[in-house]
Amino acid sequence: MRKTLLFIVLTGLSLVSNAQNADEIVAKYYETVGGNKWEAVTGILLTANVDGGGMKIPLEIVKMSDGRGYLKINIQGQEIFQNAFDGVTSWSTNFMTQKAEKSTADDTENTKRSSKEFPDALVSYKKLGYKLSLEGEDKIDGTACWKLKLEKNTQLVEGEEVPNIEYYYIDKDSNVPIMMESEINSGDMKGKIGQTKFSDYQEVSGLIYPFSISQGIKDGPSQPITFEKVVISPTVDAKTFSFPEN
Amino acid sequence: MKKQLFVGVSVLYSFAFLAQTNTVINGADYFGDVKARHIGPALMSGRVSDIENHPTNSNIVYIGAAGGGVWKSNDGGVKFNPIFDKYCQSIGVVSIDPSDPDNTVWVGTGEVWTRNSVSIGDGIYKTIDGGKNWTKMGLEKSDRISSIQIDPKNPNTIYVGVLGELWGDNQERGVFKTTDGGKTWNKIFYINERTGCSELIIDPSNPSVLYASFWEFRRSAYSFSSGGLNSALYKSADGGLTWNKIHTGFPTGKLGRIAVSIAPSNPSIVYAVVECEKAEEKGLYRSNDGGATWKFLNGDFGLTVRPFYFSRITIDPKNPDIIVKAGLFGSISRDGGSTFKSLGAMHSDIHDISFDPSNSDKVFVATDGGLYRSLNGGTTMERIENLPLSQFYHVSVDNQEPYNVYGGLQDNNSWYGPSASPGGIEARDWELVGQGDGFRVYPHPTKPHIVYSEMQGAEAIWRFDTKEKQLRVVKPYAVSGDPKLRFNWNTPITTSPHNPDRLFAGSQFVHVSNDMGNTWTKISPDLSTNDKLKQNQVESGGLSADNSGAENHCTIFTIAESPLSEKVIWAGTDDGNIQVTKDGGKSWANVTSNLKGLPLNTWCYHIEASVFNEAIAYAVFTGYTNGDYLPYVYKTTDFGQTWMSIITKDIPVFARSIQEDLKNPNLLFLGTELGLFITLDGGASWSKFENNFPSVAIHCMEMHPKKNDLVVATHGRGIIILDDISPLRAVTPEILTKTLHFFDSKPFVMSEKSSFGGTSSEVEFVGQNPSDAAQIKYFLSKRHTFGKMTMEILDSEGKLIATCQAGKQKGINTVEWYFNRQAPKVAKGKTLAFAAGFAPNVKAGKYTVKITKGAEVFTKEIVVLYDPASTFTLNERIEQQTVTNDLFDMTQDLAYFVFVIDRWDDCVANYKLKNPGKNKVADDLDKALDALRDKLVVTKGDNYVGAGEPQLREKLGQIYSTIGSYYGAPTSSQLENITMLKNSFAEAKAQFEKMKATNLKAFEKELTKKSINLPIIVPFEEFLKLE
Repeated sequence: MRKTLLFIVLTGLSLVSNAQNADEIVAKYYETVGGNKWEAVTGILLTANVDGGGMKIPLEIVKMSDGRGYLKINIQGQEIFQNAFDGVTSWSTNFMTQKAEKSTADDTENTKRSSKEFPDALVSYKKLGYKLSLEGEDKIDGTACWKLKLEKNTQLVEGEEVPNIEYYYIDKDSNVPIMMESEINSGDMKGKIGQTKFSDYQEVSGLIYPFSISQGIKDGPSQPITFEKVVISPTVDAKTFSFPEN
Repeated sequence: MKKQLFVGVSVLYSFAFLAQTNTVINGADYFGDVKARHIGPALMSGRVSDIENHPTNSNIVYIGAAGGGVWKSNDGGVKFNPIFDKYCQSIGVVSIDPSDPDNTVWVGTGEVWTRNSVSIGDGIYKTIDGGKNWTKMGLEKSDRISSIQIDPKNPNTIYVGVLGELWGDNQERGVFKTTDGGKTWNKIFYINERTGCSELIIDPSNPSVLYASFWEFRRSAYSFSSGGLNSALYKSADGGLTWNKIHTGFPTGKLGRIAVSIAPSNPSIVYAVVECEKAEEKGLYRSNDGGATWKFLNGDFGLTVRPFYFSRITIDPKNPDIIVKAGLFGSISRDGGSTFKSLGAMHSDIHDISFDPSNSDKVFVATDGGLYRSLNGGTTMERIENLPLSQFYHVSVDNQEPYNVYGGLQDNNSWYGPSASPGGIEARDWELVGQGDGFRVYPHPTKPHIVYSEMQGAEAIWRFDTKEKQLRVVKPYAVSGDPKLRFNWNTPITTSPHNPDRLFAGSQFVHVSNDMGNTWTKISPDLSTNDKLKQNQVESGGLSADNSGAENHCTIFTIAESPLSEKVIWAGTDDGNIQVTKDGGKSWANVTSNLKGLPLNTWCYHIEASVFNEAIAYAVFTGYTNGDYLPYVYKTTDFGQTWMSIITKDIPVFARSIQEDLKNPNLLFLGTELGLFITLDGGASWSKFENNFPSVAIHCMEMHPKKNDLVVATHGRGIIILDDISPLRAVTPEILTKTLHFFDSKPFVMSEKSSFGGTSSEVEFVGQNPSDAAQIKYFLSKRHTFGKMTMEILDSEGKLIATCQAGKQKGINTVEWYFNRQAPKVAKGKTLAFAAGFAPNVKAGKYTVKITKGAEVFTKEIVVLYDPASTFTLNERIEQQTVTNDLFDMTQDLAYFVFVIDRWDDCVANYKLKNPGKNKVADDLDKALDALRDKLVVTKGDNYVGAGEPQLREKLGQIYSTIGSYYGAPTSSQLENITMLKNSFAEAKAQFEKMKATNLKAFEKELTKKSINLPIIVPFEEFLKLE
């Protein structure tokens, strides 16, 4: 009798484990990082100092819930913007001339397409009509993870519509992503796999956010960034996002 | 009673010992930042077995390598990326699904060009996302898959030609079919256990029509046989239900390997290249009626040479009369096969040729020396320079700085190259030190300019003086009374740890020379089984004689002199003997029969004589030449009297080599046919090492004694190095439970080497360099995911010197610190003064690494040294550091000075904004401040050729970084320049002091009069903290 009971309990546990599906995994992740509190968030501002061989390079990254955003480097009195987007125009500062230049039509369109991914693509996948599936389990950094496949809307590469797929690895114990990877679709690294790792999740304004990310190429070098400050719903001058008429 | 107690204690001790030695450590969870570094090279590349072009997108090209996996190009073959690293690297065929060519690709593993060194396959794989993820779809016992044909109208219907096992009988061969996309397979056509499907072709216009060539073949360690009465060409017109032999016009009698291809532009035209008994009937046959009848066209050398190795024929997609045939040089016919000429000059041994479906002028060719591309129909060939598919047989290292790596390759000579080089390890860094097939290459232990190398079957063993460029053959020859010396294809030679001029070589005898190969002595009897039945290589080849030396047998294959005693020498033979002498060769003991569980005549591939005890040795046996893929690895602690298997179920396939760690006897590395395995517990458990390490066949490994690097010779992915494996030595059960454990490290040496980098183009492979940073290594029992974790470097007084990003993964973490302090704060300007942001190196000394993980703090002292090979004196360094520090301070002083000027300037601007109109006091100050700033920093222009004239900030930055990045004393010219800059700075300061008494004072009065606050100027220390 005892044996039978044990069997039923174990089987039940096993079924619970197998019953994990992609939706539930993302729902758990969402709850873990703050759940519905995110609905009131209008944006995130991140600041960091990137180490440039001993030289501190101050960064400011802004991502608004309406899709506007930028990455700003402030160095020796120069403000250099990268991947700035005001909802219409995507632009960056040319390092040489220090003047703003518009992104290619492809990049602008791709930015527009991903602009509604807030706070991230995983959480907002249903709203945006992305397809999510559970690919199985894997180990990342020695940690057991769920592997999720997120098929986003296609993106433009050299004028062609190409698949836009990201894989998320969710820590089975803590329910948060610890790595995202996707194929690089253009440029010199085309065909290689880009990876972003997440750690140092901390509480800020009642939400949980990864204060450290590390971006790189699979089996290659990576650049870690640790955020010194994370501001939820920041106030940012709307002009900052706009393409400056030089 | 006493006796019982003693027995009891002994048993307890025995259990305790077992418990201790059998503690299982699952290394895969802990390898962390121990990662493989690939150094290639790609200048000779390696054998490519198959090419597959995308049917409509010329940019997409896949290749399958003989031992290097699957690679994909997204740019028409300019650059390739590996996409199959987790799986078996021996590839038979790559096939794109014609109905979903962007996403669905099938790979059949197991090369089908069945030379003696060929590897094995483990089934068929499929990707549905263009190669990002793969799923094994069965046929695990197929061993080698020659063809995958996908019904263009129904992707769930797939036909697979399975060549099957090379070295033994097996029944998983023939033609297999699935109708459910690979979920289930049916063997629809089978001849027998010796005859496999070497080619399967589908008619693209009618997918029910198939052609299948069957080949009766067999290789053993000592012979090869191609051909038999079961070899034949068959056709099915009903999707594989029935098959008919189509030999009308073919030779009669025994047939060998048959290449077959159908003209895409006219499926009635079929070509076949037939191996048969009569020389005059061997060659190309053409059918214009779908194989019903055949006509002999051509028996040129280029068509008939070595069918087992070259048996691919390809037809231009648009013109049925243009055909190309793989061969020694590759041949092309433009007249329907009547005449042929060689393709353009390239590496010999062509295995596959493909046309770009949309442009027949664009041709890809797979060779023993990599992949070639032609843009003019095969006339001019260019080699793809980024495919490090090199197939090393062996590896050794020297003690130079950086150390060199030596080895020989399949059909690609013998080489040595550096383990590090400015800008990365480039093709030009490798030196050629042998011809032909290269195998074992050794540097002389004390004369680094002397290199020993060899070619196949010891046709030559060379002693090459790389300095004087003198090349001498120093092989042992047969002398009076000797039988014919039998040298293995891959003849063992080795140097000695006891006598630098000693060289060993193995035939059936162990030969030793103590004068660098000038004179030789046999120090053993015939150590092989000397089985005469296995020594008839002249008959090898079957229908096409093939006595290349590759089947030489009953030979010694491995020789190991104990590093602890020159009297103890081990020898292993390819026919299964392992013998040892303890008296320098006077007497030998055959200890083969002591190996329990080892099948008779199993090839002794490698013996590793232990560094810990002369009685300890490891022996690796491979049975694959007998069709046995099980691993056999043994350890003896008593000179071979007893052996213990150290294989567990963790090892899925046969192994070829083992490497004992030089410090920790429980740490062993096993090179298998499917990648690297590591044990941390003496063989109680093994873990596959996959950190940037493909599942590639490993033929040999070497441990660098000073660097603690594991240097791995792979047979398909070049040389792969695991830099500094010392943390693996320290992973013990005790540290697994610690939150964080710092590994001890040797003092870190600050490199003083400078260079202008490399010269390779963007499309050439460049091997990775090792890090020359301080590598701070620690162990985390669990990944750090929640909470803050930081790493700081403190000097001996506890002052913060630098911050680093801490590693967070479970297991071994490595954080690199490039010995730099933080850079100075630099004055704001209109442009960027990059040089001024230079971060100088720290002084040699003791530093503390401080990791803060949540509330816990962990510290570790590290030692930093100046380069002991440096030519700089301590006084020179002190002078350099003093001047650098002075300039560092001056840079920050200038930054603050400009900050103060800017604050006043802002104040003036605000004042003028609120008080429009002319105001002489404000205007004068404004002008004076601008004029002063103009001398201090660039205030106009851009960061390129529109840059303004350099000012004090830029000049100061240049001299600061120039002196700071050198390691010796500044030159007198540099010091004079600094004096000039100091004077300029002093003048600027004096000018500002003067302003304070004049313009500024007047403006302050103006502000006071109007009750406007003076600007807030924070003190210098606070300024430094501002962003």
